[in-house]
Amino acid sequence: MLDEGTPLFVQIAEQIADDIAEGSLAEGERVPSTNELAAFYRINPATAAKGINVLADDGLLEKRRGIGMFVAAGARQKLLTDRRQRFAEQYLDPMLIEAKRLGIDDETLISLIRGNGHRNGGPAA
Amino acid sequence: MNTLVNVARYHLVDRLQYVVLPVGVTFFAFGVNLAIFSLIPETPEENYSGGLFTLFVFMLVCGAMSMTKSLPFGLALGVSRRSYYLGTLLLVIGLSALYAVGIAVFQVIEDATRGWGLGLNYFRVPWLLDGPWYLTLLTSFVFLLLMFVYGMWYGLIYRRASVVGVVLFGAAQVLVLLGAVLLFSWTDSWAKLGEFFSTLTVGGMTGVLALLVCLAGAGGFATMRRVTV
Amino acid sequence: MTPTISTTGLTRRYGDHTALGDVSVDIEEGKITGLLGRNGAGKSTFLRIVTAQEFASAGSVRVFGETPVENERVLRRLVLVREDQQFPDFKVRHALSAASWFYPNWDAELAESLLRDFDLPTKRPIKKLSRGMRSALSITIGLAARAELTLLDEPYAGLDAVARQLFYDRLLDDYSAHPRTILLSTHLIDEVADLLEHVVMIDKGRVVLDAPADELRGTAVTVSGPALAVDDFVAGRRVLHRRKIGSRASVTVAEALDPSAKAKAKALHLKLEPLSLQQLMVHTSNGQTAEEASA
Repeated sequence: MLDEGTPLFVQIAEQIADDIAEGSLAEGERVPSTNELAAFYRINPATAAKGINVLADDGLLEKRRGIGMFVAAGARQKLLTDRRQRFAEQYLDPMLIEAKRLGIDDETLISLIRGNGHRNGGPAA
Repeated sequence: MNTLVNVARYHLVDRLQYVVLPVGVTFFAFGVNLAIFSLIPETPEENYSGGLFTLFVFMLVCGAMSMTKSLPFGLALGVSRRSYYLGTLLLVIGLSALYAVGIAVFQVIEDATRGWGLGLNYFRVPWLLDGPWYLTLLTSFVFLLLMFVYGMWYGLIYRRASVVGVVLFGAAQVLVLLGAVLLFSWTDSWAKLGEFFSTLTVGGMTGVLALLVCLAGAGGFATMRRVTV
Repeated sequence: MTPTISTTGLTRRYGDHTALGDVSVDIEEGKITGLLGRNGAGKSTFLRIVTAQEFASAGSVRVFGETPVENERVLRRLVLVREDQQFPDFKVRHALSAASWFYPNWDAELAESLLRDFDLPTKRPIKKLSRGMRSALSITIGLAARAELTLLDEPYAGLDAVARQLFYDRLLDDYSAHPRTILLSTHLIDEVADLLEHVVMIDKGRVVLDAPADELRGTAVTVSGPALAVDDFVAGRRVLHRRKIGSRASVTVAEALDPSAKAKAKALHLKLEPLSLQQLMVHTSNGQTAEEASA
């Protein structure tokens, strides 16, 4: 489940970030410890620690001495804002390039979006 | 010191090798001798059995095994070669003492029962173990020790140089003896040598054996230093 | 911090054959370092010299800052798990007892637990154990010893995939609970790749890689797609390997690609597959062979 491309610690950070963004890790909830993550993913604890630190440095996790790492207040919002900003670059641009390659013009593209949008339950909340 | 004791303990885990078999083999041979002696109609005049040598040869084998079979795991346990050698020596001294006491005790009983009621001299070896109990004790102790330490040296030679090495080692010793023979011939010292041996008491012999123990011990130790596992 | 193991110009020759040639590495404290390489690369020789079971022909070794040769202060603090460990005529429980006398940190409970995990019969003579069980025994001793420096030389010989995973899990478990320096030699690289913090790769007795594991992941990439596009993309980069089929090509380059390069590849519809640690090793040792061939 861990792919070869991105560094392991980045993948760990992304997994936790995903959980926070989706809401399955609530704010104020404890995040698994370095050792727990290491055992679960079967990786070196130092790698797990690195991943946690990335999130901590981004202000998404906070340390409570002696207890562990917790999801910081406002973390979810921060992540969603950040991801919205990157949405265009990550998803939109590739789609536009591919559409151009296939000779799909803008109007066709927009009607496709509307049509498929209904199928996939409309825009996200 | 603790390490040395632990090495001795380590060897003794294999009690079969170091205790059960030597004792067992000795008494088996003893039993066989007893059986034979009880069957023959008359007691011969000179009725010494060489059976006790089984024990001494067995000690040679034990010594070799301590440095071959048991060495790799011993060193793997974080023991230096020096400690392993000295710890084994500690064990060997203990066992030699124990068995020497055994021989002396049984010799006394043998004398008291006049050869186990059959005139068998098993625990009494002509000239070598033929004196009072305290000399028997000392001589068997030194001789057992020598057999052990000599065996250890062979074991180490085998580890370092394999069968070829052992053969060469044996050949080298023969050459040394040959050299001594030549030396005696050249210096015309045969008469002196003869005199030395005829006047040599068992006590003196024991001294010579003790010297050989030191020689074998030093040789084994030197061989140990570069042994690898 | 003093490295736990430090070698300088370490060399071991057996007659004509050089098992280790001028090896200078530092193994850092508290990390899990992988000693990777093909069979016969020199990994075992290295580990045996570090533990003074073998002697160097030239160069020096320092363990905990001192020479390990005939040095019980050092030897007491380390343990080497060898798959070819020779045992005396002991039963399984004898070997464990003996180990408990010599290792100051010996954990009998852990030993018991590992015996159960590996299903090792305590009363059986070691001679009668299968190869896998002997490995399991050596692993049990090695882990229960809790030595500050734990060296494992291809410890999994004869262990099936399930037992191997059990070993990795228990190793990781105990390392997390009791951090120590671990040096693990293996040729089954993909299985342990994620456990490693640092990697030292040996090929034909020489060190060919010595870097943090994170650095190595993604250091080499295979670019696949239409041959012309691929050639355009890899121009000027260090190529490790080329393959062609029809009008498609697959080229492995020894470079980490920055985001702009990745974007370019995407635009060209090229597929990027980063090399795993194992593939990296294969290419590195093949590279050596290729260099020798052209020399």
